[in-house]
Amino acid sequence: MPAVKGDGMRGLAVFISDIRNCKSKEAEIKRINKELANIRSKFKGDKTLDGYQKKKYVCKLLFIFLLGHDIDFGHMEAVNLLSSNKYTEKQIGYLFISVLVSANSDLMKLVIQSIKNDLASRNPVHICMAMQCIANIGSRDMAEAFTRDIPKILVSGDTIDQVKQSAALCLLRLLRQSPDLINLGEWSSRVIHLLNDQHMGVVTAAVSLIDTLVKRNPDEYKGCVSLAVSRLSRIVTSSYTDLQDYTYYFVPAPWLSVKLLRVLQNYPPPEDAAVRTRLTECLETILNKAQEPPKSKKVQHSNAKNAVLFEAINLIIHMDSDPNLLVRACNQLGQFLQHRETNLRYLALESMCLLATSEFSHEAVKKHQETVITALKTERDVSVRQRAVDLLYAMCDRTNAEEIVAEMLAYLETADYSIREEMVLKVAILAEKYAVDYTWYVDTILNLIRIAGDYVSEEVWYRVIQIVINRDDVQGYAAKTVFEALQAPACHENMVKVGGYILGEFGNLIAGDPRSSPMVQFQLLHSKFHLCAPATRGLLLSTYVKFINLFPEIKPQIQDVLRGHNQLRNSDVELQQRAVEYLQLSTLTTADVLATVLEEMPPFPERESSILAKLKKKKPDSVKENAETKMPRPAAQVNSFPEQPHPIAMPEVHNEPNQDSADLLGLSTPVPTMNATPPKDSAAGLLVDVFDTLGAMTTTTTATNGLTPGADEGFKSGASTVVGAAGDLTEGTEQRYKEFLCKNNGVLFENDLLQIGVKAEFRENLGRIGIFFGNKTSFQFTSFTSEVSLPGELSNQLMVQANPVDPVVDGGAQKQQMLNIECITDFSEPPLLNIQFVYSGAQQRIALKLPVMINKLVESTEMDSTTFFQRWKTLSSPQQECQRIFKAQHPMDSEQTKAKLLGFGMGLLENVDPNPENYVSAGVLHTRNQKVGCLLRLEPNMQAQMYRLTLRTSKESVSKELCELLESQF
Amino acid sequence: MIGGLFVYNHKGEVLISRVFRDDIGRNAVDAFRVNVIHARQQVRSPVTNIARTSFFHVKRSNIWLAAVSKQNVNASMVFEFLYKMVDVMQSYFGKISEENIKNNFVLIYELLDEIVDFGYPQNTDTGILKTFITQTGVKSQTSKGQLTKSQSKEETSQITSQVTGQIGWRREGIKYRRNELFLDVLESVNLLMSPQGQVLSAHVAGRIVMKSYLSGMPECKFGINDKVLMESRGKSTMDDATRTTSGKTAIAIDDCQFHQCVKLSKFETEHSISFIPPDGEFELMKYRTTKDISLPFRVIPLVREVGRQKMEVKVVVKSNFKPSLLAQKVEVRIPTPLNTSGVQVICMKGKAKYKSSENAIVWKIKRIGGMKECQLSAEIELLNTNDKKKWTRPPISMNFEVPFAPSGFKVRYLKVFESKLNYSDHDVIKWVRYIGKSGLYETRC
Repeated sequence: MPAVKGDGMRGLAVFISDIRNCKSKEAEIKRINKELANIRSKFKGDKTLDGYQKKKYVCKLLFIFLLGHDIDFGHMEAVNLLSSNKYTEKQIGYLFISVLVSANSDLMKLVIQSIKNDLASRNPVHICMAMQCIANIGSRDMAEAFTRDIPKILVSGDTIDQVKQSAALCLLRLLRQSPDLINLGEWSSRVIHLLNDQHMGVVTAAVSLIDTLVKRNPDEYKGCVSLAVSRLSRIVTSSYTDLQDYTYYFVPAPWLSVKLLRVLQNYPPPEDAAVRTRLTECLETILNKAQEPPKSKKVQHSNAKNAVLFEAINLIIHMDSDPNLLVRACNQLGQFLQHRETNLRYLALESMCLLATSEFSHEAVKKHQETVITALKTERDVSVRQRAVDLLYAMCDRTNAEEIVAEMLAYLETADYSIREEMVLKVAILAEKYAVDYTWYVDTILNLIRIAGDYVSEEVWYRVIQIVINRDDVQGYAAKTVFEALQAPACHENMVKVGGYILGEFGNLIAGDPRSSPMVQFQLLHSKFHLCAPATRGLLLSTYVKFINLFPEIKPQIQDVLRGHNQLRNSDVELQQRAVEYLQLSTLTTADVLATVLEEMPPFPERESSILAKLKKKKPDSVKENAETKMPRPAAQVNSFPEQPHPIAMPEVHNEPNQDSADLLGLSTPVPTMNATPPKDSAAGLLVDVFDTLGAMTTTTTATNGLTPGADEGFKSGASTVVGAAGDLTEGTEQRYKEFLCKNNGVLFENDLLQIGVKAEFRENLGRIGIFFGNKTSFQFTSFTSEVSLPGELSNQLMVQANPVDPVVDGGAQKQQMLNIECITDFSEPPLLNIQFVYSGAQQRIALKLPVMINKLVESTEMDSTTFFQRWKTLSSPQQECQRIFKAQHPMDSEQTKAKLLGFGMGLLENVDPNPENYVSAGVLHTRNQKVGCLLRLEPNMQAQMYRLTLRTSKESVSKELCELLESQF
Repeated sequence: MIGGLFVYNHKGEVLISRVFRDDIGRNAVDAFRVNVIHARQQVRSPVTNIARTSFFHVKRSNIWLAAVSKQNVNASMVFEFLYKMVDVMQSYFGKISEENIKNNFVLIYELLDEIVDFGYPQNTDTGILKTFITQTGVKSQTSKGQLTKSQSKEETSQITSQVTGQIGWRREGIKYRRNELFLDVLESVNLLMSPQGQVLSAHVAGRIVMKSYLSGMPECKFGINDKVLMESRGKSTMDDATRTTSGKTAIAIDDCQFHQCVKLSKFETEHSISFIPPDGEFELMKYRTTKDISLPFRVIPLVREVGRQKMEVKVVVKSNFKPSLLAQKVEVRIPTPLNTSGVQVICMKGKAKYKSSENAIVWKIKRIGGMKECQLSAEIELLNTNDKKKWTRPPISMNFEVPFAPSGFKVRYLKVFESKLNYSDHDVIKWVRYIGKSGLYETRC
């Protein structure tokens, strides 16, 4: 508080100095209590206070409040101050109100009235103060009261610049508070034209406002692009002496430039060639300026200059269209990589990560590999090193993978704990993605486990085993390598796991060498046994039983181990059970049975790496977890096999070595137990339950065949996005579409960018379909549209109503579209779903078949044997019947068939057909025009592996269509 | 066990820092400052737990003393130690203030070394400490020459044997011309009373402070009117007369605690308090009673809220003791609402004033006789506030000093026996004084 002079308040100054001189907290509280009592008596007193006194006391109250005490009076006096004409009194009044009056206070009405008066006044200072108060309080009430006034002031011709500036910022605040209330409507073009204002302050304030408006409604404000570009070019080309007050340390209007560049990032590159050229020129000028020697040594100068530069580079990356600019930007960033300033290095690495993803600049980024690697090793700040790792990951491709992986591995030994796990995942992914030679891959991953075993997640080593098992050429090498790695005196548990698994499968490939004879292998593994956790021990026990098969000569030793008390009486039930069962297996069965049961694992089906999913999960901003990663692991199913003392059931034990491998397959697929007998009903039921909750698999999937091959193909093919003309179906979606025949919920489409899930409900002739679009990237999709088209006759057969979808899908977000479907008459072709969106500047198109088949509208009916055959006979004319005889494409399992028929929607009638092998179903097809009764009979012939499918309905086309749909399922 | 001890000034600057155990890190000093001294809300609890470390603090004027421990330490032991530490410092350099602590910090560290060992409190008796921690320093004498050196050596060995001996609190060979002793019975009365005059809780905390100037190694016997002691005596003598008289005046002591010089074995077997007193002043005994307390004052409040703008308060104070006695330093504190804008007070006796800094009317009466009554009436004006919070009406509190023991405590006798020197009990001049003070003496209104 300045010494008292002129308009100062002496009492206030004295009070504040008293408070400051207080020796202790107690003394301060006493002084404040005294002052509060004084103010109370003054406010209460009969004498009316003049403006000066009111101001002084309100000021004191404000000061006391700011010291942390509650103030529960004086509000009225503050409101009175608002009506004063003196600047200081009004100012203090507004200050008190914006700090102390809560938004829902009764006084707010009075305050709003005073603000209205001030807004209407001629004095610009009063208007500004009023707007400042509105913005400070920024409540919904304020927004409601002033939605009309503020924009009017903003665009009015006779408001002075300073007021316009305040109005723009005030409006921005209200817009953020209650976006629904503010609608500029007819004024939007005038707001855009504020960019042309003479006064730089107005422009700066207006750009902030426009940026927010543009984010809400890009189309309405499209006009701002050309204006922004021209304004930008005027600033960029001006010399620093031109913009007198707005030049900051020799940089012309840095804040305005940055804001303009940000506004431009809301739009794709301008289509108008002239504007585009101008913008390119601007960006080039900015890049040129970065090359010029600095005009000042002050840090403010370089900060301002670099701020503009980085925003320009962001815009270049956003446009992603001009290779020349991209390469220049990259070179500029390359210079920053060696800059003294840590912040600059950080920003450079971060921006380069984005540049590396652009095809134009990828090569240019690669030039800086050496520098980035040095940065990784020498940076002192961990966040910078983290960026360096990200960049290395982004710039890696087939040519430099080996080198980058080697560097990352080398660095891993000294890396910070916080980034190790992520690095491990990245190394694992790069090694797999760019492996030319799989021995190199195996070496790399084993090294990884050796160096950072604690950070190697399960997915990583599952993946190694998947790859080793699927590739014959590396198996021997892998066995040799793990054997060598295990010889280290202390090795990580993950290494023991990998070693145990691989030796158990392929130990025979190296058994020829006397240094790694069966006995040596066994002893080596067993030496690690006692140091491991129960899960690993279980795996090792499985390995031992596999050894019995591989090397019959060491069977007695292994049996000794299994027979040991540590195993047979282990407190861990799982270990105990394994030991008992393996021991029995090895003593009771013949070599042949043993060989069959303990056969080498079949190759794993190829699928997307689960590590990638894990990395995505680790970076929550980048990808919305896809449904698969969330699913519970089906490990439980293996453990929950019913205990069966009967030796016949023993082959099931064979599942147990796969307990860990269950997860190897990915995260949700069950064990492919080729040789096992079909599990008992209870187990199957359990599995079906698991899949019901998973929702992504057909219920027909049971343990016997593990996984429907189709599901997997769908998985693979989803990886490619087809950019094609609308109407062409996106490739690889057929399989998934077919799966929907027997289910209503699941994933319809998935690629790197987008996942589309479907949830459908049908009742009689009506259906509701929810379509969920999940953005898997960390960037926005813009101009997102999704339309349903009904080709050909379908438009007469179906009615589809679709809600519009939000045009913007944020990174990682999910958007929903609801469809209402009404079936008028039966149909054969499904409706098509066309999706279009812009992802990082590129237009993407996806066309899919909507899973709406005629069988969805069939409701099952119950009937007994006599009625069924009565109706069956009435529908005997050849037009009503449709019969197919075909060879089974899938194993003929009754449980599966039942599940499929139930999923199909026609239900299943028990005890109807005299032959219990046969299946019969009955249902009614609902359409708006008519109801069609449908009867079905499916006769399997086990010997010939054939089916005969007969459908009888009252309408010829329906019979045909249903028959065709169902045929493909068996 | 105490891990460390810190002394701060009111700004939170560390004046003394002594760490006894390794488990207390350097950051503990700052933790206390940040979380207690500089806390936004005033910390009222004397024990604060920050990051699994307990801080026990007491405040003397503007100085904070904080003991720190990581272990589950006996909290009352720690506080007892802190109070003792304050006593010790006061007896060495008077008032505890920032200035005094700064001037005597070498001495304080020396004292700390002596009274705490590895976190365990040791001998905190001032009299003994003063024999070997002197402000002038024992060593200054040694420079005079060989003879004095041997003398001082003798002296130190004497101190050692005495401090480590059976009677560590008194040295031999004390001589006074006049054998004299002073006995103070100091009591503080605590009361909480309902507006209707019902006693909600009341207790007296008393202490007996003795100042002895006696020659040699005298053995003292102390008699009080405690029910248990009297009855056991009565039984042993089988004297009916004493029994009846004792029944009238005996009081029930809830619990008591003695100075280390009292022979507890004798107290337990013979129910007599006998001891060899330290030289000078010491606290012989502490006790607490809750029954049959004669409350010296009764406060009758009458509060009437007249509308939202005004309040009327009437307070009557009645003194309730023998008319011949005089109470002193009487002060009644009547809290006022937080939105008081003006107060008019009228009182018949003493002076009353509205103290806005304390949000209370303070009514002071210098002297008041027994069985008297005085009255105060006040009109309080209130200001309308935005808050609809009702005033909580804190209790009216009172301070006073009366020349009797409200618990009814009586010293029956104090006999001094010194077999080796030729003075008897009759030659000792004895003084006894009773002072009753107010502790937390509150009446709800």
